Amino acid sequence: MREANRIEEKLRLLQERNEKAFITYMTAGLPDMEGCAKLIQAQEEAGTDILELGIPFSDPVADGPVIQAASYKAIQQGVNLKKVFEMVEKVRNDGCNIPIVFMMYYNTVSFYGLAAFAVKCAAIGIDGLIIPDLPYEEQSALQKILDKTEQAPILIQLVAPVSKQRIPMLLKNARGFVYCVSSMGVTGQEASFHKDIVKYLEKVKSVSNIPIMMGFGIRTAADIEPMRHTIDGAIVGSHFINLMEESNYSIDTVKKYIQTFKAEMNQK
Amino acid sequence: MSNTYTGEFGGQFVSESLMNTLGELERAFNEAIRDSKFMEEYHYYLKEYVGRETPLYLAERLSEKYGTKIYLKREDLNHTGAHKINNVIGQILLAKRMGKTKVIAETGAGQHGVATATGAALFNMECTVFMGAEDIERQHLNVMRMEMLGAKVVSVHSGSNTLKDATNEAIRTWAKTAEDTFYVIGSAVGPYPYPKMVKEFQRVISVEAKKQFMEKEGKLPDVVMACVGGGSNSIGMFAEFMDEKEVELIGVEAAGLGIETGKHAAAMASGRPGILHGMRSYLLQDEDGNIELAHSISAGLDYPGVGPEHAYLRDSKRAKYVSITDKEAMDALLELCRLEGIIPAIESAHALAYAFKKAKTMKKNQTMIVCLSGRGDKDANTIEAYFKGEGYMN
Repeated sequence: MREANRIEEKLRLLQERNEKAFITYMTAGLPDMEGCAKLIQAQEEAGTDILELGIPFSDPVADGPVIQAASYKAIQQGVNLKKVFEMVEKVRNDGCNIPIVFMMYYNTVSFYGLAAFAVKCAAIGIDGLIIPDLPYEEQSALQKILDKTEQAPILIQLVAPVSKQRIPMLLKNARGFVYCVSSMGVTGQEASFHKDIVKYLEKVKSVSNIPIMMGFGIRTAADIEPMRHTIDGAIVGSHFINLMEESNYSIDTVKKYIQTFKAEMNQK
Repeated sequence: MSNTYTGEFGGQFVSESLMNTLGELERAFNEAIRDSKFMEEYHYYLKEYVGRETPLYLAERLSEKYGTKIYLKREDLNHTGAHKINNVIGQILLAKRMGKTKVIAETGAGQHGVATATGAALFNMECTVFMGAEDIERQHLNVMRMEMLGAKVVSVHSGSNTLKDATNEAIRTWAKTAEDTFYVIGSAVGPYPYPKMVKEFQRVISVEAKKQFMEKEGKLPDVVMACVGGGSNSIGMFAEFMDEKEVELIGVEAAGLGIETGKHAAAMASGRPGILHGMRSYLLQDEDGNIELAHSISAGLDYPGVGPEHAYLRDSKRAKYVSITDKEAMDALLELCRLEGIIPAIESAHALAYAFKKAKTMKKNQTMIVCLSGRGDKDANTIEAYFKGEGYMN
């Protein structure tokens, strides 16, 4: 029997409560596999709504310096897709129910094999995929396989400030949430959002039937204040990685950050 | 498959923020190559500025020694010393036509960077070149040339600090600045329409060679050969011969220290298809699907992938791909110096080395054209160090 997807389930709950979603990104396998598993559990406890797990890749062209460095470090430590699957499987067996999204590059999926990848994700409970170098026009091969696989993850659609006339096409069959990239280029550009950011988000919101999330360059709830009423949630990646590294992966710091961001973002 | 593919290879594996840019580029390029004014301007600069056409030279002493007629297509005689300028003139004219004011480029050996800096100076554009920190060390002379030409050279410190990483950084910068910046890709790689664009702007090599060969020999050559890194000089050299089924096409990859050592750059010899730099093609990958570092004494062939059309030509068996080690290439380089008085680029010496092997299997009345893609001046330091190490000079 098909269970509801964890992302869709969570977003439905948040909508009922009239709350915005808080989404974090962390590079898988840092500080090490065990530490990463603990951080996932801590984040669930602290109230992160959806967790993005970055699968390290040698050539992360959509990422800025912070995530590049984290990805490089993880590869040096031997992190790979198989080990991440094992870690997530263990976390799920320990009762963790937070929606998990893999953020990864298409070569990693293609190398593993599309069908085997879809089946494995479904089996261990990966709920979504964000693949920044797989634009809409290249998605059909993977999408067909996901459609055929029970409990397969949702392929999340990304929209950019320059997507313009492409937006209706991108959103037509989109599920889960729409990932609105806040600026041109790469992750982690410290709140230097695109000049037409609000207009662009309003345009996406007007076309979308599903929640829209904003990511790239967000550090605190104050950064998203100008667009708080347009978006349904925020994604923090590079800043979150910096925070973890600077605090030596302190569980307390991570929890406090998540709780503060969520509270501020949801202030009425 | 859509028109962005050649067989199963190619495509557009870039972020959503570049998809409209690629669409605009494709439209502008297709209009431009059908516009006779644009093509006239392109050929005007190739003739008056680059110095085309380049000779198709019958290498007499080599032919004598190896027992078959060996012609060299002298791309080394182009302005800036290699075939790279052909494509740069085309792309920068296109950038101008599209109203862009800035260009960026990646470079490995520095030849494409120098060519882009040259074109940018000629057409008054702001130019930034991304180059791996390690390549900056290896190719200091070209860094100086780019700076003299007014370009800004950005040292890339990420991953392996070589061409692959310089390309990543150029793609990142392009994604940020595409609104006013044109990315000039030098090799037959990248997302569609780049591989097609590079092929069209390098096609001039084989248009000339075919005509010149007809004039001299009154027939088609038996073999056409070129070195393959990303594959720009080879795709240009093959273009006009692809439909001539009796002409054997051979691409020569860099075997580095030997394919069996794992330290090489022969993506098609041992690679498998994957996705990098916006395209699906053969790539060197490790057991986790990460891209492996390429190894070659030639910085211009030191790339872990290959252009998608070459991948297609390989699988469809229209072209054959072989590989040559550092040592074989350096021996061939010295041989060309001594027998013909031409110092070739180390890249081109890979094609020569295989040409010598191939010639031994051919008959006296048979013929081949080897693309001499560039001159060896830029390699003086590498050549010196190599032969010192090997004891050749002593």
